Amino acid sequence: VRQKFYSTVWVAVLALVYLDFPIRVGTAAICAHGQECHAPSLADLFDRVIQQSSRVHGISSELHSDYEQYFFPSKNHIGKRKCHTYSILTPADKENAQRLGREELTEVILRLLGAWGDPLSQLHRSMTQDQNQDFNHYSSNKALEMSDMVHELRSGVTKVAEKMKLLGVISNALGYMSSPESLAPSSVSSSYERGDFNSIDHHDLLYCFRRDSNKVKNYLRILKCTTLPELDC
Amino acid sequence: MRRAVGSVPLLLMLFFIGHAKETRYSPPGKPKLTSCRSPEKETFTCWWEPGSDGGLPTTYALYYRKENSDAVYECPDYHTAGENSCFFNKNDTSIWVNYNITVVATNALGSNFSDPVDVDVVYIVQPHTPENVTVTVMEDKDGPFLRVSWEPPRKADTRSGWITLIYELRVKLEGEEEWEEHRAGQQKMFNIFSLRSGGMYLVQVRCKPDHGFWSEWSSTTYIKVPDYFPRETSVWILIAVFSAFIFFILTWILNLKSNSVKHCLLPPVPGPKIKGFDKQLLKNGRSEEVFSALVVPGFPPTTSSDCEDLLVEYLEVYTPEEQELILEEGKDLQEGCLKSKGSPSDSDSGRGSCDSHTLLMEKCGEGEGKEEKHQERAQKGKRQQKHQTGWEEGDVSHTREDVLSPDMSEGRVKTWPSVFSPLPQYSSRPLDHQGSLETARQLCLSDSLFPPPSTSSHLSYNAKEGLALGSGQQEFYLGKKQTHPSNPQSQPRWHLQAHSDFNISSMDRKQAASGLQLPGFRSTEYVEVQRVNQEDMVILQPLFSSSCQRDGHLQIGQGEDYSKVKGEDGDSCYTTSTAASSQVTGKPTSCAGTAMPVQEEMVLAANGYVDAATMLL
Repeated sequence: VRQKFYSTVWVAVLALVYLDFPIRVGTAAICAHGQECHAPSLADLFDRVIQQSSRVHGISSELHSDYEQYFFPSKNHIGKRKCHTYSILTPADKENAQRLGREELTEVILRLLGAWGDPLSQLHRSMTQDQNQDFNHYSSNKALEMSDMVHELRSGVTKVAEKMKLLGVISNALGYMSSPESLAPSSVSSSYERGDFNSIDHHDLLYCFRRDSNKVKNYLRILKCTTLPELDC
Repeated sequence: MRRAVGSVPLLLMLFFIGHAKETRYSPPGKPKLTSCRSPEKETFTCWWEPGSDGGLPTTYALYYRKENSDAVYECPDYHTAGENSCFFNKNDTSIWVNYNITVVATNALGSNFSDPVDVDVVYIVQPHTPENVTVTVMEDKDGPFLRVSWEPPRKADTRSGWITLIYELRVKLEGEEEWEEHRAGQQKMFNIFSLRSGGMYLVQVRCKPDHGFWSEWSSTTYIKVPDYFPRETSVWILIAVFSAFIFFILTWILNLKSNSVKHCLLPPVPGPKIKGFDKQLLKNGRSEEVFSALVVPGFPPTTSSDCEDLLVEYLEVYTPEEQELILEEGKDLQEGCLKSKGSPSDSDSGRGSCDSHTLLMEKCGEGEGKEEKHQERAQKGKRQQKHQTGWEEGDVSHTREDVLSPDMSEGRVKTWPSVFSPLPQYSSRPLDHQGSLETARQLCLSDSLFPPPSTSSHLSYNAKEGLALGSGQQEFYLGKKQTHPSNPQSQPRWHLQAHSDFNISSMDRKQAASGLQLPGFRSTEYVEVQRVNQEDMVILQPLFSSSCQRDGHLQIGQGEDYSKVKGEDGDSCYTTSTAASSQVTGKPTSCAGTAMPVQEEMVLAANGYVDAATMLL
């Protein structure tokens, strides 16, 4: 009996030890041995983020032009509806943008990106549910892609901000990092919550998003060139 | 009334309007906004196209409304941008704001509104052309290339990142029609390769913002490429030279080895060679000698030939005991001599093809070969009146060689044709008549020092022995004694039998009991050694067959005896006459087949080519 007891104890101990190993998984660097693992520099981060924003803007432009061709050949303005990001104050010219400063500019960017997370996914859902199959099937994929990319872009810009804080480029006064949804105008969000999107709504949404993505891209470029003046600028 | 009064001005107005229409006055036509452009995304300009003016001075006004605002503003600047334009400066320009612009044309008779246009400045950016386009020729290991560099247009603020431009340039050779376009991205420098040496190039650059319009092409920049040797051509030249070099080498090698190549590709057809044909003589130009060498005495047979003529005649040699021994020794000596002599190479490629003797030798071995050789020799000897070069030693050697060759080894077979070796061999060793035998003897003696082969059968029938009966007998004895013990093996009994076509039908290979035994020498053995020495003396050692009796043997007394073949008898017998120096006693002219002693019949036949088929002994 004693032997049995001891053996079970041993087994238990061994099991614990071996089971513990997977729990205590350490994070290994992706870089292989002998390779120096560098965290991407600020310039690299900026480049990636700017590329991403450029891609986002490209897709949104495509979608918008598709809608215009398909549904509204002559219409070229938003009409009476405002974009739901209207409340976010954004610099409308170069001087204002330069006057804003890095921290605020970063904040504006993050706000804009945050404000579009939900509406884009809703747009995608609405597109897939639309009866107009031919057009929407092709466009809904783009909308989904756009939505995902915006999410990635947002996390990327967050990293850039963190890096800048780390480097002391911007102060820690930046408080805005979370809850961007609270900044969306209620009227717009309510209309989104209603869920009755139609083609006109799609078109307007796309128009607004196209513009906002352009803003984001431009602001990021300004941010990069003021923070890291290089030959690219 | 009032109405009536009020209507008068109306009527007047109508009248005037009617009148005006007659003089083509009308309200202005509808203007049209053609385009709005912003060069740097900070200002923009709109242009319109006026409609008909209606014959009256018409004014145009541009009004705009900003997005989400109901305020209507008029164009701040009508002049900066020129006629029919409206310039919005920085203060009035807002980006990412939708402008609703309308142009109104007004004249005395009315006004006309254009269609409204929505403009977002971001999407109407068209920069100016790039500035300071410089092109320089730079050198590289592959050749020269063009380096084009430029600067963004002055007003576009790319440094702050407000506007991002991408560039494009185009190049063409002077005189060409098609431009070669290249995208340069955001960089302000570009390299152009693969230039034509000495060409004149035209370069232009333009730019575009991310989403906007292309600028105009910059003014053309001309650049001349200096002359240079293109690398590609030089590579081709190298390749051409190299291949030509290889080609020449191959040709030279082919030329050198043309013979072997010819041999390989076109193998020579073996053809019959003429025995006794001496190329050297031909080259010397003495055709008589050449042809005379070819002439075979006795061919075609002029005399009536009976069956016997075609048969190989064998000389019967009668030897007493001593002679047998001597013979045996002589054989050894012969062997030795022959051995030492070696086998001269026969240039006759046809050797052995029709040579039954060779075949026979191969079949029956040594003894047969020996027999054949002896036969041959006999025949040859008879024929050799005209063969001058009958040297004793040559004969001896050849005979010995002939004798020896079959029994030496298989390799010795080739010595068999030594009998057929061309005459010059003989001529190369002119011997005195007197000393021929001696030298031959000496040769034999010297050869006797060499141990005879221990092959089974060797018959050394040495005509010399016969010759040397007299004086040289001792030597022979010596030789014999020397060689004798070294010849343990018995000799096979060999028979020279008469047969046609040189075929030795049967060969008796019985081995004699004693070492040196000349079995059947008396009755059935025929030894025939013939040679023709220098003075046309045929030294015969004939064994006459009973059938056709020839006198081929010479009585050689002691020492060297050689008999001359004087001539042919009618019944194709050789008359032999002994040499002067020899002690040959007689001239047996009988065709009776007398068995001559071996020593007497030291007929060493040296022959060049003898047609054995027609040799009749």
